[in-house]
Amino acid sequence: MKGYRAYFLNKLLWLLVTFVFAFLLNFTLPRLMPGDPVAAIVSRLAQGMSNSTGMKEVYEHYAALFGTNKPILDQFFLYVVNVLHGNFGESFSQFPRPVADIIKSSILWTIGLQFPAIIVGWIIGNALGAIAAYLKGGFDKVLLPVSIFISNLPAFGMAIILLVMFGVDLKWFPTSGGYGFDLIPNFSWNFIWSVIVHYQLPFWSIVLIAIGGQAIGMRSMSIYELNADYIKYSRFMGINDRKIIGYVFRNAMLPQVTGLALSIGTMVGGALFAEIIFSYPGLGYTLYNGILGQDYPLISGATLIITMMVLIANFAIELLYGVIDPRIKAAQAD
Amino acid sequence: MKNTLRQVLHSGKFMVGFVILLTILLVVLVYPLIIKDSPLGIIGQGTFFPPGIYVSTYDSLNAPKQYTLLLTDAAAKRIANKMSNDDRLAMKEWLVADGVPASEIDVTKTASLLDLWEKNYDPKKNIPGMIFAKVRYYQRVNTSVQGLLSTEGAIIASKNAQTGALEQASTINQSDYVNLSQVANVRVLPLGTDNFGRDVLTELIRATGVSLEIGLVAGIVATLIGLSLGLLSGYVGGMVDDVIMFFTNLFTVIPSIVLLILISFSIGQDQRGAFTIAVVIGFTSWVWTARAVRAQVVSLRNRDHVNLSKLSGHSIVHIIIYDILPYIASYVVMALILQISSAILIEAGLSILGLGPRTTEVPTLGLMMNWAMIYQAEILGKWWAYFPVLIVIALITFSMNLMNTGLDQVFNPALRD
Amino acid sequence: MRKTIPIWVAITLIATIVLSACAPQATPTAAPTSAPVSAAPTSAPVAAPTTAPVVQPTTPPTAVPTEAPVAPGAPLPRSETLYFNGQQWGSVVCWNPYSSNCNNAMAIAQQDNSRVTMFETPYLYDMLDGKQYPLLADGPWAWNADKTAITFKLKKAAHWSDGTPVTADDVAYTWASNVKYGTNPGVNFKDYIDTITAVDPQTVEVKAKLDANGKAVNPLQVFSYLSNAYVIQKAWTQKLEARTGGDATKFLADPADDVVFSGPYHKFFADDTKVVLIRDDNYWGKDASMFGKLPAPKYLAHVIYKDNAAGTTALQAGEVDVSQQFNANVQDLWLKDNLPISTYLPDAPYMIGASLPTAFFNMASYGLDQLAVRKAIAIAVDYNTIIANAMTNQSPTFAQVPRSLMNPTPGEQALYDQSAVKDLQFAGNDIAGAKKLLDDAGIKVGPDGWRYYKGKKLTYVATCPNGWSDWQAAIEVVAAAGKAIGIDITTNYPEWSVYQTQVTNWPLPNKNFDIFMMWSDGAGPTQPWGRIDHLLNSKYAQTKSNWNGNWGGYKNPDADALINAIPSETDPAKLKADYTQLVKIYLTDIPSFTLMYRPQSFHTVNESVWTTFPHQNDGTNPAVPPLDLTDGWSIAGLYNLTLVKK
Repeated sequence: MKGYRAYFLNKLLWLLVTFVFAFLLNFTLPRLMPGDPVAAIVSRLAQGMSNSTGMKEVYEHYAALFGTNKPILDQFFLYVVNVLHGNFGESFSQFPRPVADIIKSSILWTIGLQFPAIIVGWIIGNALGAIAAYLKGGFDKVLLPVSIFISNLPAFGMAIILLVMFGVDLKWFPTSGGYGFDLIPNFSWNFIWSVIVHYQLPFWSIVLIAIGGQAIGMRSMSIYELNADYIKYSRFMGINDRKIIGYVFRNAMLPQVTGLALSIGTMVGGALFAEIIFSYPGLGYTLYNGILGQDYPLISGATLIITMMVLIANFAIELLYGVIDPRIKAAQAD
Repeated sequence: MKNTLRQVLHSGKFMVGFVILLTILLVVLVYPLIIKDSPLGIIGQGTFFPPGIYVSTYDSLNAPKQYTLLLTDAAAKRIANKMSNDDRLAMKEWLVADGVPASEIDVTKTASLLDLWEKNYDPKKNIPGMIFAKVRYYQRVNTSVQGLLSTEGAIIASKNAQTGALEQASTINQSDYVNLSQVANVRVLPLGTDNFGRDVLTELIRATGVSLEIGLVAGIVATLIGLSLGLLSGYVGGMVDDVIMFFTNLFTVIPSIVLLILISFSIGQDQRGAFTIAVVIGFTSWVWTARAVRAQVVSLRNRDHVNLSKLSGHSIVHIIIYDILPYIASYVVMALILQISSAILIEAGLSILGLGPRTTEVPTLGLMMNWAMIYQAEILGKWWAYFPVLIVIALITFSMNLMNTGLDQVFNPALRD
Repeated sequence: MRKTIPIWVAITLIATIVLSACAPQATPTAAPTSAPVSAAPTSAPVAAPTTAPVVQPTTPPTAVPTEAPVAPGAPLPRSETLYFNGQQWGSVVCWNPYSSNCNNAMAIAQQDNSRVTMFETPYLYDMLDGKQYPLLADGPWAWNADKTAITFKLKKAAHWSDGTPVTADDVAYTWASNVKYGTNPGVNFKDYIDTITAVDPQTVEVKAKLDANGKAVNPLQVFSYLSNAYVIQKAWTQKLEARTGGDATKFLADPADDVVFSGPYHKFFADDTKVVLIRDDNYWGKDASMFGKLPAPKYLAHVIYKDNAAGTTALQAGEVDVSQQFNANVQDLWLKDNLPISTYLPDAPYMIGASLPTAFFNMASYGLDQLAVRKAIAIAVDYNTIIANAMTNQSPTFAQVPRSLMNPTPGEQALYDQSAVKDLQFAGNDIAGAKKLLDDAGIKVGPDGWRYYKGKKLTYVATCPNGWSDWQAAIEVVAAAGKAIGIDITTNYPEWSVYQTQVTNWPLPNKNFDIFMMWSDGAGPTQPWGRIDHLLNSKYAQTKSNWNGNWGGYKNPDADALINAIPSETDPAKLKADYTQLVKIYLTDIPSFTLMYRPQSFHTVNESVWTTFPHQNDGTNPAVPPLDLTDGWSIAGLYNLTLVKK
């Protein structure tokens, strides 16, 4: 168990260091933006205001409130305190609503959409890749280019195609939102059904993109393993086919798990587009609103949360990997 | 080397990808030589003209020669164009609601239907329960069927310069035709126009060029960074390796889209040229190359020929250039291809978010997509404004990835079936 | 291998279809529940729900509030709900009528055409005839003899949601609070209104601020307040003050979930995806002295759409009844898609234009102090292309409504003498004229094809905020016009946060800010005076924190004198002469030029469920303006709605 604990601590330390760095980036980058963020919200308040001195009062009031008139170091500590309190400060575009409140209402939608989609995409992709490698022939000849083609459609492109085909033209699925336009959220069958129906298009647009890339990877790994000497030897020894395939896929799988850990960031990035195209009430949509509204506390908050989600997912996968990888198991035995 | 090249050229996947890409490149290079219009020139007054051939109405009237063709179905076609089956049924519906017995109305007989319509229809009449959109629909139908059965020609009149009165200049008969080649102004818009009234095809081809340039710049930046860091990290090792790998791992787990959004947002729109965006994309997507190069270099570092070179007292630079680079060259080329294709995707994605290059200097595939969506092309069925763009993006990335897969199979014999 | 690619593509598509088809298919969620419409509006509010379209075994009926709204989880009955889009972007923050920051577009908007769904103003402004009609007020208001104070009465029937009557004291206390806490109406009107007092419980007196001569500073602004600012209950305001301890920031940031209102609707539900208001069946307006009945829809609902495209999709699907957003090529919806959708006017421009998006010249830029240069650019611009492309024809052309300082409403158009300025009303795309003008002024084309003024090349940057798509499209056309006459105009689109800091603070940046777009006032009780004041008055020129207008820095004492005289002017003939003179000055000096007309709301309706929406010549008197049935006098349209007969 000692080996695993060392592995665990190592990964945990890594998680924390990465987080601190991401946090710093997250604080710094939006503050490099030209222009005055406070002026943006003041201007919104001021539409229809016809008194210049009144404007100036309002401006100074908000500058003080947001602390943008303070030195950058003070602002940083203010931000740290805010994050530690879990409220990320106040949103500009939805002032005085705290950013944390906005994120809280969207994060569940995102987790509920993206992680199942990525996992399902990963599983289907790997299964297809493995089958293609094993069956070869026609299936493989079709699957590979199709996979490449699909995984090369831009993420938003897949979403738009699904939207136009199944939402606008065929009208099988609703085109926007997380649940029916005429419903009030509630724990009832009606509502849940509506959520399920609205879930389909964004879900499949993420899954389809994920399948292609995974299938290509798994196919390569499987072919590589199938051609490996130990397989030839096993066949020669007359070990039954099913058992051999078991070995092959297990070995081919391991790099795919690592691959998932490494590419989950990219996948989440792509999935954000699905949310935006389908107006799905998740983080991607929140982020998009933040960008449109020049709301940098919200952009900071949303990107930080997305980064954290990816880091945690990554961490979880690596822990899992530590359990299933024989080499790390071997280290535990020492 | 020759042998590898031959193998590459024999790889079906590579060749298909290569041919697609080459075709796209050729079109991008040749088209502007033939069609010299400015890709951003606004030619259409109005948005989203559908694809087709546009013939100047004015010039058709003034064509040097008018031909007479006596085609039997001309009148039927003219009527069908103005009065669809749905229109006929709707007219019947109105007449019935107005009190005309349904048995008297035969929607297939144009003359009698129009006759009844003319006698009974009154735009001011209020049919109870009829929604307003429908009332206006009937007003439009009424206008469009006016004089539909007339066999008279149309009279062209011009203003007398002195009196200002209209004088008949000529008559256009229903059987008059012009030959398209004799009309002074005919414009073919194979993909119609976009929301600015620009020729989509011309714009698309220029945009493809710009997007490829963005991809190339971003790919080269990313590959150079990745290659240098990977070489340094893998070959030098020790502290340098640790530090470089620290940052590489860091940027692997932080989603690059997040970085891109933050950076693009911070730059501000007025600073975001196409080149800037390309460099930014390059700076955020080098990690994979760095990791892969490092892994290769580590495995090469202790090979005999490298050790020999070391013993011969060659400098690090010499060893890297002559003893390591050639062995990973194929890998670097493949990485570059992937970087280019992913950079094109990333540019498109950023533009969709409104964080792409400055809007009107040059068109890019992403910006075309973005504007088409701002003007709701996808839901209004204006497919020509966005679908060709998607297809071009997919074709470029598809071809590059096919090439990459082909190369992969050539360089990794284990992957061959 | 190459030949098989199309097959693979086809298979991909098939696979996609198959995969998606595996997913559970949608039942048509938008299907209108054919509930009986027999709900008697006058019946006691505690009555059981008249509509039970979906059986709800899991939800106990205990949670039903007094108004018997829809059961939780069940769809809002389609035939009792009026759906909107384009008003609410982002989530509602609060329900505080004093705050200008609630982002609560369905309930709170104090402006020239105030939104009176939840809170009410004494008068309702009708943009079509420019008149104010009484709401809380009883009968028209009246000036006193020397025009220093306005008196008006309140309706006896008017009462708050808690049942207490709306009194003159409430009106007075609202004004005092507006001033005390620096709300938008307070800041806007405190220079013109001195005090508002209760003469008796039903009578309000509004005293104007007086200038040195003992005359009202600006009589227009005084009565404009009456249709602009809400009346808020005194008792509730005091409760809010007690809760926030008199702290202005807290006072304005209070979410005010307990707010007392007088309007026909109030909060039913709000989250990140939608806002629903529910009718107050005790609304005082059903009294014969006002509407005599309740508004037709029981619910006003607004789903929060991501962008215009999502909103348009919903409008097409019949999930939106009243659309207040820019639907590009709106005519396609009925011409091509055959949907029961219509706009106020049958043909282009489809809407009633109300404001004048305008391009300003930076008077401090090199060469733009020359009238010839300004005029040449303005007359060379192809406005027809701007209107056709940027607005997809949802703006009258300058041939239909020649340029002046007036918006296209008949009321404003009648205020100036068109024939007197006919020669000045340029229609655009006059490239030859512009070239001649420049040549005559000695601004000749140099060897490189560009024009030079006193040896220096004329090169400008035209700009507007990034992402404001119709403006960006318009600015592109302006730049093209410059190129056509030999003036090098390029475009630049800073983010709004940068742009608005620059534009409101003189001096404007000496780079990248030569020709720039800003808005001008829409329709309102002070118009067109307010718009002209903002476009031309020197007092705004070259100032800092300037949110009013005249951002280009134009100064003309003659114009100032006319602008300052108009608010106190009572003689219609003199008024018309003054306005005509101002238009003449504007079109002669060209300190800025209008690029298009923009409607007050992009009022577009879908008659899948509701019908008898306001449209041109619909016979309503006074005519209900196309303002979404929520703003100013347009709320009267809510009482005319009927259901479509199936």
